Amino acid sequence: MKNLESFIYNILNSKMKKKLVIVLTAAAFFLSLMMFPTKMVLAKMLPGKSANTFSIYVDTPAGSSIDQTKKVSACVIGFLKKEQEIMNIELFLGQGIPLDYAGLVKGASMKRTENVSEISVNLTDKHHRAEPSFLMVQRMRPAIQEACVPLVRGTNIKFIEQPSGPPTLASIVVEVHGENLSKIRELAVDVADTLSNTEGLVDIDIMADENFEKFELIPDKEKVARSGLSVKQVNNILYLAFEGMVIAHKNSKNSPDQINMFLVLDNDSKKLSKSNVDSLQSKLSSLNLMNMRGMMVPLSEVVNIRKVMSNYMIMHKDLSRMTNVIAETDMVSQVYPLLEARDVLLEKFEKDYIIEKAGFSTYMFDFTLIDRKTQEKFLIRWDGEMKVTLDTFRDLGGAFISALILIFLLLVIYYKSFAISGIVLLGSFLSLIGVIVGHWVANWFTTETFFLTATSLIGFIALIGISSRNSLLLIDFAKSLMECEGIKKRRAIAVAAATRAKPIALTAVAIILGSALLAGDPVFGGLGVALISGTVAAVFVSLLFVPVLMDNAKAMDFDKNPHCDVEDKNNISITK
Amino acid sequence: MENNKEQVSKEYKIINVAGTLAKGFLKNPLTAVLGAFLLLMGYLALNTMPREEDPQIAISGGAVVVAMPGATPKEIENIIVKPLERKLREVHGIEHIYGMAMDNVGIVNVMYYIGENREDSNLKLYDKVMQNMDSMPKGVMQPLIKPFDIDIDIPIITVAFYPKAGKNVGDVKLFEMVREVQQHINAVEYVAKTTLKGARRAQYNIEVDMGKLSAYHLSLGQIMQAVQSVAVDVPDVKGKTNDGRLVIFGVKNAIESVEDVGSVIVAQYMGSPIYLRDVASVTHGIDIQNFQTAKILSKSEHNSTLSDEASQITMTVAKLAGTNAVFVAEDVVKVLEEYQREFDELGIGYLITRNYGERANEAVNELMSHLIITIVIIALMLVFALGWRESLIVTFSVPAILAVTLFTAWMTGQTMNRITLFALLLSLGLLVDAAIIVIENIHRHLHAHGVEDKEMEALLIEATDEIGAPTNIATLAIILTMVPMAFVGGMMGSFMKPIPYNVPVALIASLFVAYIFTPYLSLKLLKKPEHGDNHHKESEMKKEEKKEGSK
Repeated sequence: MKNLESFIYNILNSKMKKKLVIVLTAAAFFLSLMMFPTKMVLAKMLPGKSANTFSIYVDTPAGSSIDQTKKVSACVIGFLKKEQEIMNIELFLGQGIPLDYAGLVKGASMKRTENVSEISVNLTDKHHRAEPSFLMVQRMRPAIQEACVPLVRGTNIKFIEQPSGPPTLASIVVEVHGENLSKIRELAVDVADTLSNTEGLVDIDIMADENFEKFELIPDKEKVARSGLSVKQVNNILYLAFEGMVIAHKNSKNSPDQINMFLVLDNDSKKLSKSNVDSLQSKLSSLNLMNMRGMMVPLSEVVNIRKVMSNYMIMHKDLSRMTNVIAETDMVSQVYPLLEARDVLLEKFEKDYIIEKAGFSTYMFDFTLIDRKTQEKFLIRWDGEMKVTLDTFRDLGGAFISALILIFLLLVIYYKSFAISGIVLLGSFLSLIGVIVGHWVANWFTTETFFLTATSLIGFIALIGISSRNSLLLIDFAKSLMECEGIKKRRAIAVAAATRAKPIALTAVAIILGSALLAGDPVFGGLGVALISGTVAAVFVSLLFVPVLMDNAKAMDFDKNPHCDVEDKNNISITK
Repeated sequence: MENNKEQVSKEYKIINVAGTLAKGFLKNPLTAVLGAFLLLMGYLALNTMPREEDPQIAISGGAVVVAMPGATPKEIENIIVKPLERKLREVHGIEHIYGMAMDNVGIVNVMYYIGENREDSNLKLYDKVMQNMDSMPKGVMQPLIKPFDIDIDIPIITVAFYPKAGKNVGDVKLFEMVREVQQHINAVEYVAKTTLKGARRAQYNIEVDMGKLSAYHLSLGQIMQAVQSVAVDVPDVKGKTNDGRLVIFGVKNAIESVEDVGSVIVAQYMGSPIYLRDVASVTHGIDIQNFQTAKILSKSEHNSTLSDEASQITMTVAKLAGTNAVFVAEDVVKVLEEYQREFDELGIGYLITRNYGERANEAVNELMSHLIITIVIIALMLVFALGWRESLIVTFSVPAILAVTLFTAWMTGQTMNRITLFALLLSLGLLVDAAIIVIENIHRHLHAHGVEDKEMEALLIEATDEIGAPTNIATLAIILTMVPMAFVGGMMGSFMKPIPYNVPVALIASLFVAYIFTPYLSLKLLKKPEHGDNHHKESEMKKEEKKEGSK
């Protein structure tokens, strides 16, 4: 104890050493901050967690048949079948898997067309499996996409992992807003191309339907009327013939549901030889309608067939037209590929558009494009996980600042001095050094990147309270030594630091041990590491840096006070 | 130095709430009862609190679907989507409005801000659409309003039923069996919505041969009318006898079996009847128009490779909001087990493909064991730093604090989830502090000069009271850092809510437990040393410092 006391006293007594402590602390602080721009520590909202399940969404282009979708799904399942760790695979054709949190925001419940299917994969228990689910997905993704996507042109296969935190539509969502529908489509394709060429991004998809060929049957009103038919009748018979309809039902004692009677043309009659106007024409010519006079009229007589392209779906968000481009990240944080892709996009659009960048907000990566020729405006908006991350970090930053202010006010009330409260606050703020360095160190020990996450920030906020308590006890003790014992300032600070070292260390050890098991969790690892490394830093800061500041502060000059209540303070005879 | 003062003031004057609490409970026989009661409450909360993996996030929203047959996307955009979007802007609390205009149908999705009350949000949406029904354009169908209901929409357990390998169970038979099971599962307490995915229903398929149709000079419309005219259900009619009694009689549905459908006379041709089976194949099959099928590949117990693709029916089971997923899932599994024999007879296998109840239970139990390991580690550390009796006292305080925290969480309608337990783990390092500080001060007083002259009780109260003010301030400081976190918005804020809700409760509980139970237990467990030992503490401090130094 004496050693620590004289060590601190020596520092306080020499101006050089005091300066050295301050300079070293400041250097450590800035060096640790430099770990962000140099990418030694990477930030992400929440890291991936290993789960016992993942799902695969297969989307063949709009207008594809269920058989085509089935073909692609079968290809995917063929790959999955080779995996040892898969317990079971479920395929849901033309619909989504039973809704889960990921599907909830990705619109899985709305799926009911022939061009979609979802595959749910259950793995062996994660505790007995060497390979985490996210590495498995990363390994399988390229092979499956390479083999199965070409089966039907324009197919998109997405791998959906269980989100470790709140679910989002996708890691990266780029919204292209604008009034000109065909132009926003073009821009969306540009954006999608850029995202595909950005390293670390996978599963890129434009959230718009593709157009496909279709045939329009235009009823010839005059012919319809003159042959004693009605347009409604034409529509009904067409639907009945090719789609089929439930025309009657029967209640049954033995069946749990009503038995429907379904009328449709048989498969041979329905099948067209080719997808063109002529074969449709010949098919319709053998489909007869009965008119009011009981005469048969071939359907082809009353309609004209025309080949057209299908209409695009129009999407709105907050009352403006837009198209989404989404992408997932492949084991990396979405921040860095986003910035990279954004730079490429800015360069790409430079030629044809005047670019206006957005101001400082949580939409700070947005930019507006103004067409140099037509003066049309388009907005490129970055949404998805990036927006949620920025919102969260902004809110947590706000929470952090409010915490600082609240503690400052509490201390001002307690000490009635701004300078002392400032020292406590500064001391606690410096535990940030430990938090950042801790993440850098943790990154060495983990095979995957150890990100600084939202939970790290929560840990940091909690640390403010813990380390301000250390400084608080130190100042309290030094103050009473000066007031009650009349000990000189420097000696008092040194004694206080030496005496408080034990409870500070004891509680620090308790926190470190308490957080040790947190550090192993994928989601709360950040919080655990922040608490452990931050506490270590806080111990050093409060035992070395804070005493130096206390010595320099005028507010810490206390004289011997006759009204001092000895009982209220610790027994200093321990160290004597 | 301070000895003279101690001797002067025999009667210690309590200056802090800490001393008051210590004094009030020190000799009170109810203190032990209170302790036992707290632990019991904690135990009850632990066992009955609804468990889930992730905390509930209040996501509210809904979709308004308006169909207008025959309209193109641009028409839909102008007459349905745009006016609807404008109207929905009037609703308070909506964050984003997404509009989709497709062929024949327009959909407007709304997403409320995270944390908006779900029932209110649903009502507001419904209300707004209904208020504006008069300005609906002509020719559109009645709008459908579908609120998102996460509790009911997200199933907690899904079960796949499939025919066992080599067994020939028809799709319809499988469906009938599953439908029966569904009825019983829906009867389980707190089960909300059950659905079947991939179900194939029985159906009489009438597949018409177009060639024969034209040969007989028939149209599809005639066939439809012919079938509809015989397949009718009418209620019985009443007649009366002469003496006033009722006679009940009715027309039976003419169709009893699939053969009856085939025998429907479609038309007369040259005097001879044309039956339906002459122009169409009439079969008792499955719903051929349904393309939404489901398949499964699974591993059996004695086979390590995946089986071939088999068709399956997945039953999804959701629970009511606020109920315990663990219990509901267990009950559902029990119902399934009751059917085991029947399944075996029919050759139906089943596989639970999702069980959130079990997952939540595992997650909670895993964290509970982490919590216990951490408590043991901290207790061991304290044995070295303070001595085993003191360590025992601090170790007791931990379950008491956790019990209070859990009970409070239960009473305020929270659930036990990963984040709640992380909040407890996070606070563990913080909440032993108050107890440590009190016990350390008691320890110091017991080994101080002049301890022989003092009553044990007075000494305990004094030791507790002394450190009251700084401990309160320090704990308050930590609580203050947690409070602003409760105001973090968005998904992440809701997700992390259990931390700002539970950590302050745990910290406040830690203060009370430290002031009430630490002196009480010290009175029972600790004794005054034979002679004051001033150097004892110092030597320990050195030990501690060495430990720190060697890190």
